Amino acid sequence: MGAEANYGGGGGYARTTTYGAQGGEDGGGFVGGSQQGSQGGQGGSKYDNDTLRPVTIKQLVDSKEDYPGGELKIDGLGVTQITLVGQIRSVNAQTTNITYRVDDGTGVTDVKKWVDAGGDDDEAGGASKGFALDTYVRVFGRLTTFNNKKHVGAHFIRAIDDFNEVNYHLLEAAYVHLALTKGAPAGGDGVAGAGGAGDDNMFVDGGYGGGGATTGGGGGGGGSAVPSRVSACSRGAQNFFKYLTEAVGGVDGVNLNTIATGTGLSTREVIAAADELLGTGLIYTTIDDETWAILDY
Amino acid sequence: MEATSTPRITCTYLNSYVGKNVLVVGKVVQLRGDEAIIDADGNITAHLHREAHLSAGSGVQIIGKVNPDLSIKVLSSLDLGTSVDYNLANAVVEVTHQHKSVFAYD
Repeated sequence: MGAEANYGGGGGYARTTTYGAQGGEDGGGFVGGSQQGSQGGQGGSKYDNDTLRPVTIKQLVDSKEDYPGGELKIDGLGVTQITLVGQIRSVNAQTTNITYRVDDGTGVTDVKKWVDAGGDDDEAGGASKGFALDTYVRVFGRLTTFNNKKHVGAHFIRAIDDFNEVNYHLLEAAYVHLALTKGAPAGGDGVAGAGGAGDDNMFVDGGYGGGGATTGGGGGGGGSAVPSRVSACSRGAQNFFKYLTEAVGGVDGVNLNTIATGTGLSTREVIAAADELLGTGLIYTTIDDETWAILDY
Repeated sequence: MEATSTPRITCTYLNSYVGKNVLVVGKVVQLRGDEAIIDADGNITAHLHREAHLSAGSGVQIIGKVNPDLSIKVLSSLDLGTSVDYNLANAVVEVTHQHKSVFAYD
Protein backbone atom coordinates (compact mmCIF):
# COMPACT_ATOMS: atom_id res chain seq x y z
CA MET A 1 0.00 0.00 0.00
CA GLY A 2 1.12 3.46 -0.84
CA ALA A 3 0.16 4.70 2.56
CA GLU A 4 2.54 2.42 4.36
CA ALA A 5 5.48 3.24 2.17
CA ASN A 6 4.99 6.91 2.82
CA TYR A 7 4.61 6.28 6.48
CA GLY A 8 7.93 4.56 6.71
CA GLY A 9 9.68 7.28 4.78
CA GLY A 10 8.12 10.33 6.31
CA GLY A 11 7.35 9.35 9.84
CA GLY A 12 10.14 6.93 10.51
CA TYR A 13 12.62 9.43 11.83
CA ALA A 14 10.47 10.32 14.79
CA ARG A 15 9.91 6.86 16.11
CA THR A 16 12.05 4.31 14.44
CA THR A 17 11.98 2.19 17.55
CA THR A 18 8.25 2.07 17.88
CA TYR A 19 7.47 1.49 14.27
CA GLY A 20 7.83 -2.25 14.52
CA ALA A 21 5.71 -2.54 17.57
CA GLN A 22 2.93 -0.16 16.69
CA GLY A 23 2.93 0.29 12.96
CA GLY A 24 0.07 -2.07 12.42
CA GLU A 25 -2.03 -0.37 14.97
CA ASP A 26 -2.61 2.87 13.18
CA GLY A 27 -2.70 1.24 9.83
CA GLY A 28 -0.70 3.78 7.90
CA GLY A 29 -2.63 6.73 9.25
CA PHE A 30 -0.43 9.79 9.46
CA VAL A 31 -0.99 10.17 13.14
CA GLY A 32 0.49 13.11 15.01
CA GLY A 33 2.80 12.74 17.97
CA SER A 34 0.33 13.74 20.62
CA GLN A 35 -2.20 11.28 19.43
CA GLN A 36 0.35 8.55 19.40
CA GLY A 37 1.09 9.42 23.00
CA SER A 38 -2.48 9.11 24.12
CA GLN A 39 -2.77 5.76 22.43
CA GLY A 40 0.40 4.39 23.88
CA GLY A 41 -1.29 3.38 27.10
CA GLN A 42 -4.01 1.36 25.52
CA GLY A 43 -2.20 0.11 22.45
CA GLY A 44 1.06 -1.56 23.18
CA SER A 45 1.00 -5.26 22.63
CA LYS A 46 -2.60 -5.95 23.64
CA TYR A 47 -3.55 -7.11 20.18
CA ASP A 48 -5.73 -9.88 21.55
CA ASN A 49 -8.37 -7.30 22.38
CA ASP A 50 -7.95 -5.38 19.17
CA THR A 51 -11.35 -6.02 17.69
CA LEU A 52 -13.42 -4.04 15.21
CA ARG A 53 -16.62 -3.06 16.95
CA PRO A 54 -19.73 -1.65 15.27
CA VAL A 55 -21.00 1.28 17.34
CA THR A 56 -23.50 4.11 17.31
CA ILE A 57 -22.24 7.63 17.94
CA LYS A 58 -24.21 7.77 21.19
CA GLN A 59 -22.13 4.88 22.48
CA LEU A 60 -18.98 6.84 21.68
CA VAL A 61 -20.33 9.96 23.39
CA ASP A 62 -21.25 7.91 26.45
CA SER A 63 -17.97 5.98 26.59
CA LYS A 64 -16.05 6.59 29.79
CA GLU A 65 -12.61 5.95 31.16
CA ASP A 66 -12.16 4.25 34.53
CA TYR A 67 -9.61 6.85 35.62
CA PRO A 68 -8.30 10.03 33.93
CA GLY A 69 -6.07 9.09 31.04
CA GLY A 70 -7.31 5.52 31.05
CA GLU A 71 -8.80 3.49 28.28
CA LEU A 72 -12.23 4.53 27.01
CA LYS A 73 -14.82 1.84 27.59
CA ILE A 74 -18.21 0.94 26.19
CA ASP A 75 -20.23 -1.68 28.10
CA GLY A 76 -17.20 -2.19 30.31
CA LEU A 77 -14.99 -3.22 27.42
CA GLY A 78 -12.10 -1.17 26.06
CA VAL A 79 -12.81 0.47 22.74
CA THR A 80 -10.21 -0.19 20.10
CA GLN A 81 -11.09 -0.23 16.45
CA ILE A 82 -14.59 0.93 15.68
CA THR A 83 -16.83 1.22 12.66
CA LEU A 84 -19.75 3.60 12.41
CA VAL A 85 -22.24 4.82 9.86
CA GLY A 86 -23.61 8.34 9.60
CA GLN A 87 -24.41 11.37 7.49
CA ILE A 88 -21.86 14.09 6.82
CA ARG A 89 -23.10 17.34 8.33
CA SER A 90 -20.09 19.55 7.68
CA VAL A 91 -16.68 19.32 6.10
CA ASN A 92 -13.63 21.22 7.25
CA ALA A 93 -10.74 20.63 4.90
CA GLN A 94 -7.24 21.57 5.92
CA THR A 95 -3.86 20.85 4.39
CA THR A 96 -3.06 17.93 6.68
CA ASN A 97 -6.48 16.59 7.47
CA ILE A 98 -10.19 16.79 6.78
CA THR A 99 -12.57 16.93 9.69
CA TYR A 100 -16.14 15.79 9.12
CA ARG A 101 -19.03 16.20 11.49
CA VAL A 102 -20.89 12.92 11.28
CA ASP A 103 -24.46 12.43 12.52
CA ASP A 104 -26.15 9.04 12.75
CA GLY A 105 -29.33 10.16 14.51
CA THR A 106 -28.03 8.98 17.89
CA GLY A 107 -25.38 11.67 18.29
CA VAL A 108 -22.84 13.79 16.47
CA THR A 109 -19.09 13.34 16.37
CA ASP A 110 -16.03 14.73 14.64
CA VAL A 111 -14.24 12.34 12.35
CA LYS A 112 -10.73 13.29 11.36
CA LYS A 113 -9.09 11.83 8.30
CA TRP A 114 -5.45 12.59 7.78
CA VAL A 115 -4.59 13.48 4.23
CA ASP A 116 -2.01 11.28 2.64
CA ALA A 117 0.76 13.55 1.41
CA GLY A 118 1.38 11.20 -1.48
CA GLY A 119 -1.99 12.20 -2.86
CA ASP A 120 -2.32 8.67 -4.22
CA ASP A 121 -5.37 7.96 -2.16
CA ASP A 122 -7.27 4.73 -2.18
CA GLU A 123 -10.62 6.33 -1.57
CA ALA A 124 -11.36 7.21 -5.17
CA GLY A 125 -10.78 10.89 -4.59
CA GLY A 126 -13.10 10.92 -1.62
CA ALA A 127 -10.56 11.86 1.00
CA SER A 128 -8.82 14.55 -0.98
CA LYS A 129 -11.96 16.25 -2.20
CA GLY A 130 -14.15 15.47 0.76
CA PHE A 131 -17.61 13.95 0.72
CA ALA A 132 -20.70 15.93 -0.20
CA LEU A 133 -22.98 17.07 2.61
CA ASP A 134 -25.72 14.68 3.71
CA THR A 135 -24.11 11.62 2.13
CA TYR A 136 -24.12 8.50 4.24
CA VAL A 137 -20.63 7.18 4.89
CA ARG A 138 -19.09 4.23 6.66
CA VAL A 139 -16.13 5.09 8.83
CA PHE A 140 -13.45 2.70 10.09
CA GLY A 141 -11.26 4.19 12.76
CA ARG A 142 -10.23 4.55 16.33
CA LEU A 143 -11.74 6.55 19.17
CA THR A 144 -9.17 9.03 20.43
CA THR A 145 -9.02 11.84 22.94
CA PHE A 146 -7.36 15.17 22.22
CA ASN A 147 -7.53 18.10 24.65
CA ASN A 148 -10.22 16.22 26.57
CA LYS A 149 -12.37 16.04 23.48
CA LYS A 150 -13.24 12.73 21.95
CA HIS A 151 -13.12 12.29 18.24
CA VAL A 152 -12.74 9.48 15.75
CA GLY A 153 -9.44 9.15 13.94
CA ALA A 154 -10.47 7.55 10.66
CA HIS A 155 -8.39 4.98 8.85
CA PHE A 156 -10.82 4.77 6.02
CA ILE A 157 -14.07 6.39 4.95
CA ARG A 158 -16.29 5.34 2.10
CA ALA A 159 -19.66 6.44 0.81
CA ILE A 160 -22.62 4.09 1.29
CA ASP A 161 -24.40 3.09 -1.91
CA ASP A 162 -27.16 0.93 -0.49
CA PHE A 163 -29.18 2.69 2.22
CA ASN A 164 -30.06 -0.63 3.84
CA GLU A 165 -26.46 -0.86 5.06
CA VAL A 166 -27.32 1.95 7.49
CA ASN A 167 -30.04 -0.17 9.07
CA TYR A 168 -27.87 -3.28 9.10
CA HIS A 169 -25.22 -1.36 10.94
CA LEU A 170 -27.65 -0.16 13.62
CA LEU A 171 -28.87 -3.71 14.17
CA GLU A 172 -25.31 -4.97 14.33
CA ALA A 173 -24.39 -2.34 16.91
CA ALA A 174 -27.39 -3.38 19.00
CA TYR A 175 -26.49 -7.06 18.58
CA VAL A 176 -22.92 -6.57 19.74
CA HIS A 177 -24.08 -4.44 22.67
CA LEU A 178 -26.49 -7.18 23.76
CA ALA A 179 -23.97 -9.96 23.22
CA LEU A 180 -21.49 -8.15 25.45
CA THR A 181 -23.93 -7.19 28.19
CA LYS A 182 -26.16 -10.26 28.24
CA GLY A 183 -24.00 -12.94 26.68
CA ALA A 184 -23.95 -14.35 23.17
CA PRO A 185 -26.86 -16.41 21.90
CA ALA A 186 -26.65 -20.08 22.81
CA GLY A 187 -25.45 -22.90 20.64
CA GLY A 188 -25.31 -22.86 16.89
CA ASP A 189 -26.05 -19.22 16.42
CA GLY A 190 -28.19 -18.86 13.31
CA VAL A 191 -29.37 -22.43 13.61
CA ALA A 192 -30.64 -21.85 17.10
CA GLY A 193 -32.52 -18.82 15.88
CA ALA A 194 -34.10 -20.73 13.04
CA GLY A 195 -34.91 -23.78 15.14
CA GLY A 196 -36.32 -21.46 17.72
CA ALA A 197 -39.21 -22.47 19.81
CA GLY A 198 -39.32 -26.07 18.72
CA ASP A 199 -35.81 -26.79 19.82
CA ASP A 200 -35.96 -25.48 23.29
CA ASN A 201 -39.24 -27.18 24.01
CA MET A 202 -37.51 -30.39 23.22
CA PHE A 203 -34.70 -29.58 25.61
CA VAL A 204 -36.83 -28.59 28.50
CA ASP A 205 -39.36 -31.40 28.31
CA GLY A 206 -37.24 -34.25 27.12
CA GLY A 207 -33.57 -33.83 27.59
CA TYR A 208 -33.52 -32.07 30.86
CA GLY A 209 -35.26 -34.61 33.01
CA GLY A 210 -32.40 -36.99 32.48
CA GLY A 211 -29.93 -34.56 33.98
CA GLY A 212 -27.86 -33.76 30.93
CA ALA A 213 -26.48 -37.19 30.13
CA THR A 214 -29.33 -38.12 27.86
CA THR A 215 -29.61 -34.90 25.93
CA GLY A 216 -27.47 -36.28 23.13
CA GLY A 217 -30.53 -37.79 21.53
CA GLY A 218 -32.50 -34.82 20.38
CA GLY A 219 -30.01 -32.03 20.75
CA GLY A 220 -29.12 -31.48 17.16
CA GLY A 221 -25.43 -31.03 17.81
CA GLY A 222 -25.71 -27.56 19.28
CA GLY A 223 -23.39 -28.69 22.03
CA SER A 224 -24.93 -26.82 24.90
CA ALA A 225 -28.16 -28.03 26.41
CA VAL A 226 -28.96 -24.57 27.63
CA PRO A 227 -32.54 -23.48 27.16
CA SER A 228 -33.07 -20.22 25.35
CA ARG A 229 -34.32 -18.54 28.49
CA VAL A 230 -30.81 -18.81 29.93
CA SER A 231 -29.26 -17.21 26.88
CA ALA A 232 -31.21 -14.07 27.72
CA CYS A 233 -29.48 -13.89 31.10
CA SER A 234 -26.19 -12.28 32.04
CA ARG A 235 -22.89 -14.08 31.64
CA GLY A 236 -22.63 -14.79 35.33
CA ALA A 237 -26.06 -16.38 35.36
CA GLN A 238 -25.16 -18.49 32.34
CA ASN A 239 -22.01 -19.78 34.02
CA PHE A 240 -23.97 -20.45 37.16
CA PHE A 241 -26.60 -22.37 35.28
CA LYS A 242 -24.04 -24.35 33.29
CA TYR A 243 -22.22 -25.30 36.47
CA LEU A 244 -25.46 -26.38 38.09
CA THR A 245 -26.39 -28.63 35.16
CA GLU A 246 -23.04 -30.37 35.37
CA ALA A 247 -22.85 -30.58 39.15
CA VAL A 248 -24.17 -33.57 41.06
CA GLY A 249 -26.22 -32.11 43.83
CA GLY A 250 -29.24 -34.28 43.57
CA VAL A 251 -32.48 -32.91 44.94
CA ASP A 252 -30.62 -31.04 47.66
CA GLY A 253 -28.96 -28.75 45.13
CA VAL A 254 -25.59 -27.09 45.32
CA ASN A 255 -24.41 -24.64 47.95
CA LEU A 256 -23.30 -21.06 47.37
CA ASN A 257 -19.68 -21.72 48.28
CA THR A 258 -19.37 -24.74 46.04
CA ILE A 259 -20.75 -22.75 43.13
CA ALA A 260 -18.45 -19.82 43.82
CA THR A 261 -15.42 -22.10 43.81
CA GLY A 262 -16.59 -24.07 40.81
CA THR A 263 -17.45 -21.13 38.57
CA GLY A 264 -14.79 -18.72 39.76
CA LEU A 265 -17.44 -16.09 40.46
CA SER A 266 -17.40 -14.03 43.64
CA THR A 267 -20.00 -14.72 46.29
CA ARG A 268 -21.79 -11.52 45.41
CA GLU A 269 -21.85 -12.43 41.72
CA VAL A 270 -23.24 -15.86 42.52
CA ILE A 271 -26.05 -14.32 44.56
CA ALA A 272 -26.84 -11.86 41.79
CA ALA A 273 -26.87 -14.69 39.25
CA ALA A 274 -29.10 -16.75 41.52
CA ASP A 275 -31.56 -13.88 41.87
CA GLU A 276 -31.67 -13.56 38.11
CA LEU A 277 -32.26 -17.25 37.54
CA LEU A 278 -34.81 -17.44 40.36
CA GLY A 279 -36.64 -14.56 38.72
CA THR A 280 -36.92 -16.43 35.45
CA GLY A 281 -37.94 -19.62 37.23
CA LEU A 282 -34.97 -21.67 36.05
CA ILE A 283 -33.75 -22.66 39.50
CA TYR A 284 -35.20 -22.90 43.01
CA THR A 285 -33.84 -22.77 46.55
CA THR A 286 -33.65 -26.07 48.38
CA ILE A 287 -32.52 -26.66 51.97
CA ASP A 288 -31.72 -23.00 52.66
CA ASP A 289 -31.56 -19.65 50.86
CA GLU A 290 -28.05 -20.29 49.64
CA THR A 291 -28.52 -23.64 48.01
CA TRP A 292 -30.05 -24.01 44.61
CA ALA A 293 -31.12 -26.72 42.21
CA ILE A 294 -32.34 -26.63 38.65
CA LEU A 295 -36.05 -26.54 38.32
CA ASP A 296 -36.92 -29.24 35.81
CA TYR A 297 -40.34 -30.28 34.95
CA MET B 1 -18.99 15.25 20.25
CA GLU B 2 -22.53 16.20 20.96
CA ALA B 3 -25.16 14.46 22.96
CA THR B 4 -28.07 15.33 20.71
CA SER B 5 -30.10 12.71 18.97
CA THR B 6 -32.92 12.61 16.46
CA PRO B 7 -34.77 9.43 17.40
CA ARG B 8 -35.82 7.10 14.60
CA ILE B 9 -39.59 6.74 14.68
CA THR B 10 -42.52 5.43 12.69
CA CYS B 11 -46.08 6.74 12.50
CA THR B 12 -47.08 4.98 15.73
CA TYR B 13 -44.52 6.89 17.79
CA LEU B 14 -45.51 10.40 16.58
CA ASN B 15 -47.65 11.01 19.66
CA SER B 16 -44.75 10.78 22.06
CA TYR B 17 -42.47 13.10 20.09
CA VAL B 18 -44.52 16.28 19.59
CA GLY B 19 -42.22 19.31 19.49
CA LYS B 20 -39.11 17.17 19.07
CA ASN B 21 -36.82 16.49 16.16
CA VAL B 22 -37.15 13.02 14.73
CA LEU B 23 -35.90 10.90 11.87
CA VAL B 24 -38.33 8.97 9.70
CA VAL B 25 -37.61 6.48 6.93
CA GLY B 26 -40.58 5.75 4.71
CA LYS B 27 -42.02 5.60 1.25
CA VAL B 28 -43.39 8.65 -0.53
CA VAL B 29 -47.03 7.84 -1.22
CA GLN B 30 -48.20 11.15 -2.55
CA LEU B 31 -46.75 14.54 -3.43
CA ARG B 32 -48.97 17.65 -3.31
CA GLY B 33 -47.07 20.89 -3.74
CA ASP B 34 -45.08 21.41 -0.58
CA GLU B 35 -46.82 18.60 1.22
CA ALA B 36 -46.07 14.90 1.05
CA ILE B 37 -47.65 11.78 2.48
CA ILE B 38 -45.01 9.37 3.70
CA ASP B 39 -45.73 5.78 4.67
CA ALA B 40 -43.72 4.68 7.67
CA ASP B 41 -45.82 1.94 9.24
CA GLY B 42 -48.75 4.34 8.68
CA ASN B 43 -49.18 7.59 6.77
CA ILE B 44 -47.45 10.75 7.95
CA THR B 45 -48.04 14.22 6.49
CA ALA B 46 -44.79 16.07 5.88
CA HIS B 47 -44.48 19.80 5.19
CA LEU B 48 -41.54 20.12 2.85
CA HIS B 49 -39.04 22.89 2.47
CA ARG B 50 -38.02 24.30 -0.87
CA GLU B 51 -34.89 22.26 -1.44
CA ALA B 52 -36.61 18.93 -0.89
CA HIS B 53 -36.45 16.70 -3.95
CA LEU B 54 -38.76 13.78 -3.43
CA SER B 55 -40.30 11.46 -5.95
CA ALA B 56 -43.46 9.45 -5.43
CA GLY B 57 -42.81 5.75 -4.95
CA SER B 58 -39.25 6.24 -3.72
CA GLY B 59 -37.92 5.80 -0.24
CA VAL B 60 -37.05 8.90 1.71
CA GLN B 61 -35.40 9.80 4.97
CA ILE B 62 -36.70 12.96 6.56
CA ILE B 63 -35.48 14.75 9.64
CA GLY B 64 -37.90 17.25 11.08
CA LYS B 65 -39.96 18.54 13.93
CA VAL B 66 -43.25 16.95 14.95
CA ASN B 67 -46.12 19.47 14.95
CA PRO B 68 -48.99 19.32 17.47
CA ASP B 69 -51.25 17.97 14.68
CA LEU B 70 -48.75 15.09 14.24
CA SER B 71 -47.50 16.29 10.87
CA ILE B 72 -43.77 16.82 10.43
CA LYS B 73 -42.04 20.04 9.43
CA VAL B 74 -39.15 18.79 7.34
CA LEU B 75 -35.72 20.27 8.02
CA SER B 76 -33.69 17.89 5.91
CA SER B 77 -34.58 15.19 3.45
CA LEU B 78 -32.68 12.52 1.57
CA ASP B 79 -33.92 10.52 -1.38
CA LEU B 80 -33.14 6.82 -0.86
CA GLY B 81 -34.15 5.35 -4.20
CA THR B 82 -36.41 2.36 -4.68
CA SER B 83 -34.46 -0.50 -3.11
CA VAL B 84 -35.25 0.35 0.50
CA ASP B 85 -36.32 -2.52 2.74
CA TYR B 86 -39.16 -0.89 4.71
CA ASN B 87 -39.71 -3.89 6.96
CA LEU B 88 -36.10 -3.64 7.97
CA ALA B 89 -36.39 0.09 8.60
CA ASN B 90 -39.46 -0.44 10.79
CA ALA B 91 -37.75 -3.27 12.66
CA VAL B 92 -34.79 -0.99 13.34
CA VAL B 93 -37.14 1.62 14.81
CA GLU B 94 -38.49 -1.01 17.21
CA VAL B 95 -35.00 -2.08 18.22
CA THR B 96 -33.90 1.51 18.80
CA HIS B 97 -36.84 2.00 21.16
CA GLN B 98 -36.19 -1.24 23.01
CA HIS B 99 -32.55 -0.41 23.59
CA LYS B 100 -32.53 3.32 24.17
CA SER B 101 -29.16 3.26 25.91
CA VAL B 102 -27.52 2.55 22.56
CA PHE B 103 -29.60 4.85 20.39
CA ALA B 104 -31.24 7.88 21.97
CA TYR B 105 -31.20 10.48 24.69
CA ASP B 106 -34.47 11.18 26.45
